[in-house]
Amino acid sequence: MFRLLSQKMRRYRTSSSDNQTQAKQNASPKYLSKNLEGNLQVLREELGQSSDVIIRDMKISSNSDVDGAVIYIDGLVDRNLLNQDILQPLMFNLQVIKDNVNQKQSKLIDFIKSSVLTVGQISGTEDIDTVIAGVLSGHTAILIEGVTQALLIDTKGWETRNVDEPTNEVSIRGPKDSFNETLRTNTALLRRKIRDPRLTFQSLQIGERSKTDVTVAYIKGITPDHLISEINQRLKRIDTDAILDIGYIEQFIEDSPLSLFPTVGVTQRPDVVAAKILEGRAAILVDGSPMALTMPFLFIEGFQNPDDYYARPFFAAAIRWLRLLGFTLSIYLPGIFVSLKAFHPELFPAPLLVSVAAAREGLPFPVALEAILMLSLFEILREAGLRMPRSLGPAVSIVGALVIGQAAVSAGLVGAPMVIVVATTAIASFLVVPYADAGALLRFLMTIVAGFLGLFGMVIFQLEILSHLAALRSLGVPYLSPVTPLKLRGLKDVFIRAPLWAMDRRPEFLDSSDKRRQSPGQMPRAPQTKPGKREG
Amino acid sequence: MKREKRIKIYVVILLIIMPGFLSGCWDSHELNKLSIVSGLGWDIDNTGKVTMTYQSIIPSEIKGSSGSNGGGEQKGGSQLSAIQLNQDTGSSPYDALSRYTQHASRIPYYEHTQIYLFGKEGVQRGIYPFLDTQARNPVSRPKALMVVSAEEKASDILGIQDGMENIQAFGMAAEIKLSATFSKYPEVTVLQFQNRLLSKTTAPIAPMVGIFEETGPEGKKIRRTRVVGTAVFKGDRMIGQLNERESSGLLWAINEIKIGFVMIPEASMEIVSAKSKIVPELQGDQVKITIEIDEESNLVEYRGHQDITADLVHELEKGQAKEIESQVRAAVEKSFALDADVFGFGEAVHRKYKKEWKDLKPRWDDIYSRIEVLVKVKTHLNEIGDVNKALIKD
Repeated sequence: MFRLLSQKMRRYRTSSSDNQTQAKQNASPKYLSKNLEGNLQVLREELGQSSDVIIRDMKISSNSDVDGAVIYIDGLVDRNLLNQDILQPLMFNLQVIKDNVNQKQSKLIDFIKSSVLTVGQISGTEDIDTVIAGVLSGHTAILIEGVTQALLIDTKGWETRNVDEPTNEVSIRGPKDSFNETLRTNTALLRRKIRDPRLTFQSLQIGERSKTDVTVAYIKGITPDHLISEINQRLKRIDTDAILDIGYIEQFIEDSPLSLFPTVGVTQRPDVVAAKILEGRAAILVDGSPMALTMPFLFIEGFQNPDDYYARPFFAAAIRWLRLLGFTLSIYLPGIFVSLKAFHPELFPAPLLVSVAAAREGLPFPVALEAILMLSLFEILREAGLRMPRSLGPAVSIVGALVIGQAAVSAGLVGAPMVIVVATTAIASFLVVPYADAGALLRFLMTIVAGFLGLFGMVIFQLEILSHLAALRSLGVPYLSPVTPLKLRGLKDVFIRAPLWAMDRRPEFLDSSDKRRQSPGQMPRAPQTKPGKREG
Repeated sequence: MKREKRIKIYVVILLIIMPGFLSGCWDSHELNKLSIVSGLGWDIDNTGKVTMTYQSIIPSEIKGSSGSNGGGEQKGGSQLSAIQLNQDTGSSPYDALSRYTQHASRIPYYEHTQIYLFGKEGVQRGIYPFLDTQARNPVSRPKALMVVSAEEKASDILGIQDGMENIQAFGMAAEIKLSATFSKYPEVTVLQFQNRLLSKTTAPIAPMVGIFEETGPEGKKIRRTRVVGTAVFKGDRMIGQLNERESSGLLWAINEIKIGFVMIPEASMEIVSAKSKIVPELQGDQVKITIEIDEESNLVEYRGHQDITADLVHELEKGQAKEIESQVRAAVEKSFALDADVFGFGEAVHRKYKKEWKDLKPRWDDIYSRIEVLVKVKTHLNEIGDVNKALIKD
């Protein structure tokens, strides 16, 4: 049924995008003319009457009468740079080489580009749309009378947030930097971790109106080419007016939009992205979003944490088991409790049954309803805690924890064991953050199913979930790999975390072009001292 | 084409929704609509009327005793606040059991019944009807304990509050399990009872629980329960009983000794481990059984005034072996007197002599009392420790 729905959606999507691409092809590109005033007129029309668009007329060099204009958007450009390295050289320093001004004006622009402006990134263009796009993304455009070319100078400089500590993914031993909203900063953070010349940032703009910069990051020779071309294809298919956050991209390119489980990874840590790129994945960075997407994303990645790799392997393996347990508990515990109480009390050990029965005594609601009520209450508290203004925090936690938790039990509305179960479940669900939202929905469904059909229903529902997971793909890689399909070598990083010196190959289910990560046999050993040859 | 597809979708949705209503609901039983039966008593009178006694748990009383508002009233003596006794009489066990519909507010729930208690009077008439009901009903557990009441009626015992446990049947089950752990009396589950019953030659056994009176503080009489012996069955009827010594002997022979104590006049020993084997031998029509016992123990008490030497240890080991042998002998003699194969000698012969068994089986009752029994006991006393010298010498 889901497949049918998704097919329909896909058909609808492709047909609508066809219409729009046709419309786009009808508009022909406009070019600059030799007439400066005319060009400025066109630009004024295109950019509108916005107060932040600055068009500054001037004379190129103080003693010639060549007219020119500088166009930029106030707030997007670095004013110091503009004043000192563009306006000053153009208006004053040019007189030293006055002779050149008399030369052909088309050569003038090359001269300015090569000898006058002391800025890093300059390009010339004749296309008005390119000029507008450049200006809107923080470039400064220089137009000169009698020249059909405009100079676009990279003068981007706006207020940005510093590189802060990651707020969502805390690590004890790992690096403490995280992405921020500026794409360049983010790529720089990655570049500082991987100085391989083959690390590639491939950029494109998405969004009819927002014109958001989107960058695909990968290492040539590790990430297989077919993955890159598939990602590019999916990105190019996006036809929307604005990309405000990386989540927009995620929803447009994921493999199974109708699944509860994410098939694209999201992280705010550059070290995580670097590690994933080095394993043969690709990352997507979006300007204006402090997050990065990684693809392909497998189920087990949700249970991996950067600290697993920075600390020694034994505890890391134990913690990974704990996360698996926590995830399992967070989905099944309320369901199991409900079905044991309502359908299979014989499965309780006798003394436990007696105390559970004692706690159940005199409660007005059926146990399934009680569970759903408490679970909903928790979700309400969580959501309120997340969204409300900071200053209201203490009030909500007092009301939530004390009044609802304690009072509900002593008023005889819910049983104390149910409060324990719901609280355990709630905390356990945050052991595995990537699946916290999917887990919450599954938990509700599981509890409802348990309320109707008991353990029998839970088993059936569980089979449904498993077969769904087994059918999922992320960029063509089976979601449950390397467990199923089984890849024995891949298991080194699933239920245990093998020591780093033992993981000498990249995960083979990712099919990366360069299989080896390091030379094998690097287990550290104590130096062998020959008998009889001792120091001192 | 399109319509067909739509119908298909409707059918799928219907198929997903329907099972929710079809199954399950009648099987759902909320805990507060159940009355958990902790122990079940069975009696039969001379007219053949069956009386079932349920001991049910009152959950709200449990809450009171362990929760915040407990401690107010002192529970003492024979006050039974956490359990409730109900009785029903009918022409058969199931008939009696089904009469709860006339007076109960909750459905009895037998899944956690720990004890089946049989009145002494009824058990001599045969408990087959009860065993049949028990076996046919999926709700009851084969791990529940079989107990015979040493009093006339099962209901006499089910109403006695015993010490620390507020649910009497659970307490009684713990009492029996403890006595079995320390190798005093056997612990017999329904499953074990049925197995013995099915083997035709082996006689089923069950521990017996009786009442004894104790004088408490301020001269108050307190009635308590106590394991008093082992009931021996022939088929489904009880035909006799083993006393404390004979019960221990039985456990020694059937390899049911876990830990426990052996007392001889001059010392006491604590059993560390014990193993036994029944080795049958067939000479023509004469069956010879050797019971081999291998025991290891620690010395925990020595009443003499000698230093402990290797010779003395040897002597103690011998005395211990003699004591064990005499216990086993007592059990064997009693079983011969009752003509009930409580040891499973028949099964042992069956296992070793498959061909001859066909011939022996129909005559087993005759053969049984003529069996020659040999008891071989090997004992080992260890860990005497450093206290080798007697504290007071002669």
